This record gives sequence, C-alpha cells and structure tokens, in this order.
Amino acid sequence: MKTLQWMLRRELWEHKGSLFWAPVVVAAILLIVTAGSAGYGLLAHGAHFTAMVDGRQFYMSSFRAMPAEMQVAAVQFAANSYLASAVPLFIMMAFTVFFYCLSALYDERRDRSVLFWKSLPMSDHMTVLSKVLTAAVVAPAITIAAALVLSLALLIIMGVYLALNGVNLFGALLATPALYLSPLFLIGMLPVYALWAMPTIGWLLMVSSWAKSKVFLWAVGVPIIALVIVKWVDFLVTGNQGMNSGLAHVAREVVNRGLGGLVPGIWFAFSDHTVAMRPGEHGVELGQVFAQSWMTLAAPGVWIGAVAGLAMIVVAIRMRRWRDEG
Amino acid sequence: MNPAINAVVSARGLTKRYGKQVALNGVDFDIPAGRIVGLIGPNGSGKTTTLKAALGLIPFEGSLTVLGHDPRSERDALMQEVCFIADVAILPRWLKVGDAIDFVAGVHPRFDRKKAERYLAITKLTPGMKVRAMSKGMIVQLHLALVMAIDAKLLVLDEPTLGLDIMYRKQFYQNLLEDYFDENKTIIITTHQVEEVEHILTDLMFIREGKIVLAATMDEVGERYTEVMVQADKVAAANALSPIDQRTVFGKSVMLFDGVARSQLATLGETRNPSVADLFVATMKGSYA
Repeated sequence: MKTLQWMLRRELWEHKGSLFWAPVVVAAILLIVTAGSAGYGLLAHGAHFTAMVDGRQFYMSSFRAMPAEMQVAAVQFAANSYLASAVPLFIMMAFTVFFYCLSALYDERRDRSVLFWKSLPMSDHMTVLSKVLTAAVVAPAITIAAALVLSLALLIIMGVYLALNGVNLFGALLATPALYLSPLFLIGMLPVYALWAMPTIGWLLMVSSWAKSKVFLWAVGVPIIALVIVKWVDFLVTGNQGMNSGLAHVAREVVNRGLGGLVPGIWFAFSDHTVAMRPGEHGVELGQVFAQSWMTLAAPGVWIGAVAGLAMIVVAIRMRRWRDEG
Repeated sequence: MNPAINAVVSARGLTKRYGKQVALNGVDFDIPAGRIVGLIGPNGSGKTTTLKAALGLIPFEGSLTVLGHDPRSERDALMQEVCFIADVAILPRWLKVGDAIDFVAGVHPRFDRKKAERYLAITKLTPGMKVRAMSKGMIVQLHLALVMAIDAKLLVLDEPTLGLDIMYRKQFYQNLLEDYFDENKTIIITTHQVEEVEHILTDLMFIREGKIVLAATMDEVGERYTEVMVQADKVAAANALSPIDQRTVFGKSVMLFDGVARSQLATLGETRNPSVADLFVATMKGSYA
C-alpha cells in the first residue's frame, strides 16, 4: 500500500505539467479573463451593459427590473449550472490523460529507465495499476478540484458584479441547496467515468507497452484503418442491396468506446439519456446528469467495455514483465 | 543436477536463444555466498544475457536459481533481496536527487537513507538537481549512491562505472569493498576495465560465445596460471611446455602457462601471477577471428 502511494507520487512528479499545472493554469486564465472583463465592463460602461455569465446573457438594467420570482429562477439557474464554467478543464483533461496513457509504458522503455524501476521491489502489476489509477482517479480528481475552485470563484465574481449593480444575490444563492449538492454530484460521477474510461485506458496502455515507436499512430491509426476496412467490406457486401449487416455499426461502436472513453460524459453518446444535458430554464441540473450517468451503467455495453479494458491492462502487465529491453 | 545448497546463484543448462542465434549455450555454474565474482567476456559473449536471466528480465531455458527463487516465476520475491545496475545513465530525466532518495526510501525496505546521503555528500549533486541537468558521470554517481545504500543479498553490476573518471571509479570500488561488501553479500560485476576490479574479485568467470570457459577462485587462478619472463637461452625449453600465450616485452619472451608447476617454471626465468587482463586475452584468443 505504501509502495503504491509512492508510485502514484512518482507519476505526479513525472507528469506534474500535464496533470497538475495544465488545469491550474487554464483555470487561472479563465478566471483572470472573466474577472478582467467584468472589471473592465464596470469601469468602462458603468452599470448599463450586458454580460455573458455561464453562457447566459444578463441585461443588467432588465435584471433589476425583473420580477422577484424571475430573479429567484436566475439564482436557481446559477446554483445549478455554475460548474458548467469548468467544462474547458474537463475537455482538456480528456486530452492530457489520453497522452499520459500513451506515454505511460512507452517513455520508460524509450529512455531505458524501466531498468531502474525494475531494479526496485515494485512488481509489474503494481506499476501498471499505479498508472491506471493515475488516469482513472488521480487526474480526474485534480481536475475536479480545479473545476470547483474555478466555478466558485466565477460565481463569486458574478455575485460581486451583480451586487455592485445593486442586485445582491448572495443570500439567495447561499440558501439554494443545489449550490452545495453540485460538487457532490460531480465527485459522485467519478466511478461512472472510471468505468467508461477503462476500455480506452486499457487500449492505450497496451499500445504503450507494446509499440516500438510511433505510439500515437498505432493507438489511433490502427482502429481507424480497421474501421474504414470494415465499412468498405460492409459496403461491398451489403451496400448494393441497401442493407446493413450491423458489422460496421458494431465496429464503430467499439472504436468510439475504445478511443473516446476518456471524454467526460461520453456515456450520453451511447445511451438515450440525453435529456439532462440540454439546459432547461433551471440550467443544467447536475442532479439529473448525475442520476442519468449512473443509469447508463444498466446497459451491458459499459461492462463489456470495462472487462475488455481490464483484459488489455493484463496484457500490458505481461508485456512489461517480459519485454526484453536489449 | 543438485544445485549447491548454499549457492546464491546456481545455473544448470542455462540456455537463451534469440531467434536462431544462441546467446547462452547450456551454461552451468554456481556462485556461493560472500563472493565478488567478475563475469568477464568479449562483447556479445553472453555476459549481459546471463545477468538478465538471473534478474528475471528475460525468459530462458534450463534451470536457474537465484537466492532460492526461480527468476521467471518469483521475480517479485527476488527483488526484495537483489539489486542491480543494468546500464549506466538510465535514470529518468525528470527525477530530482531529493525525490529519488525519498522514493527509494519509500519503496525499498532495505534502503539506508543516511548511507545514500553520505555517498552523495562527496559529489557535487544537490537535492534539487534534476537528472536532466546532470552530466553522465553525475547520473552514475546518483545511481551508485542509491544502489550502494540498499542492503541487498545479491548485487549485480553490469558495467557500473562506464563514463566515470578514474578518481571516482577507484573511490567506488574502494567503497564497494570496504563499506558495502561483507560475508553475507554477493556481488557480480561485469566490466571492460578488468585492471580496476581484479584486486577486489574473489572469483573469476570467463564467458565466451555463450559458454563458461573458466570459473575459478582467484587463488585457484594464481595456482593454475603462471607467467614467466623466459631467459633467452631457455625459450626452446619453455616452448616444449606448451605455453597458452606468449608475447615479447623489451625483447624478452613472456609466456603464460596453464597447470605447469611453478617450481619447474622458475628454472626458465622470473615467474609471477598473470594479470586478469593478460589471462583474458590468452583465453579469448580467436574470439574476434
């Protein structure tokens, strides 16, 4: 257990830039830009201008003129969907974790440092496990933390801004349960994320442990070329009759799940539960998103994918165990 | 087929093929505890393959036991008691000196942090320094400091001092002998700089084309091999004893004999123990032919 902790720490040392600094820096930039434009707007235009907050346009003068119940609705909207402002962080995470997995077992072979790690009492399955945990849990947890800080800061900026315009929403906001529940819903989706990410993590780690060079080409090129071939065969066999053998559909599904699993919320692309993603008049209700995310686990596909992912992780472990580094 | 009970490493019919090429061809040997063994051979003779097999880094045929473990199936248990330097300058570039010490202290139960810090104190390395910013020699210094601070029962060093200057090399072997080695430990070293290790070795193993051609203690080597500076008038007599090698130094013949009594050779000229390097050259003759 202690060894595993050190191995996780090692992953963070090595990938501090992409796993830690990237979300922190992007969050800081978003914050500065928002705070800056709000401040600039206040200085340049006084109270009468429009602001984009969380993708919604607020007309300052009209806001004050709003009836009370509409103001309540606006508060509800903000409390429900303030975390949406951190969406860029989660999109970025999909990329950083993708490239993290690709390099996880490849870089150590390329610079031969694998021989140093193997000279210490750390088994291959522990090593690969530490990389799986980094991709599926540690990196999302760091991003969630950065997202929470960013979203709350943006919410405060918005509140202060409105307050300076004579509309104090803080009291109403603090009394809204959604404000406190949203972070819990976000954290609560982590297991769903890990399960959906497993096929992609497994595939990338397997390629990473196997490829002699050009890991990215192998990891992305092979599935795409395979998909094109399947579609072509499918077209030759059934195209003329206008029928669909289903093979191309299955192949596309496999490739999408295998390569796209690291994108948070990808599960909605594979299910009918897309209602919650459409912002209603109360904004994106994270509670709905949370519930429907967990409901995607009722379909067998995610479990098949997770098992396939674990199988590929086992292959990666064996590959690391026996690969002769020359 | 009964490996010596107290052997730290015991090989029987150890064979490794890379495709059609045979890297190790049915090698047998035993290394008892408390020895410092020099595994010496030309490039491509199977030295590194032997070490990799013993460390569980590659699959092989035949039987090989290291500290009672089969390196193929029990590598994780083995690595609790074994440490190795398989190649120089292979520390990851992002690693900091301080982090490296923390990490090894965290994962290795036999690591002595104070010892590692003592070794590092005599170098120019500082805790905040990254491997990226180090010279090759400095990387080796860090690696050696980490490994020497691990109280392993078996230490395997494959060319440990490549890239180090002579001062540090001498220092390293001195430390290895005085500070690290004791009767419960076993060290296996391969190196090309034979002269630098021969005074610390207790055993010698020559390997050639995947076969062990000589395995003996240094004492046995001293008894078995004699180098004679043959007097000019005794050359014919000396040749009759079939030397395994001869060369000329300042016009005098220097011959190397295997298994000829030293008292007999003393009549031919001045006798002495051959250097490991000379013995190696004589034994490996024709390896590059």
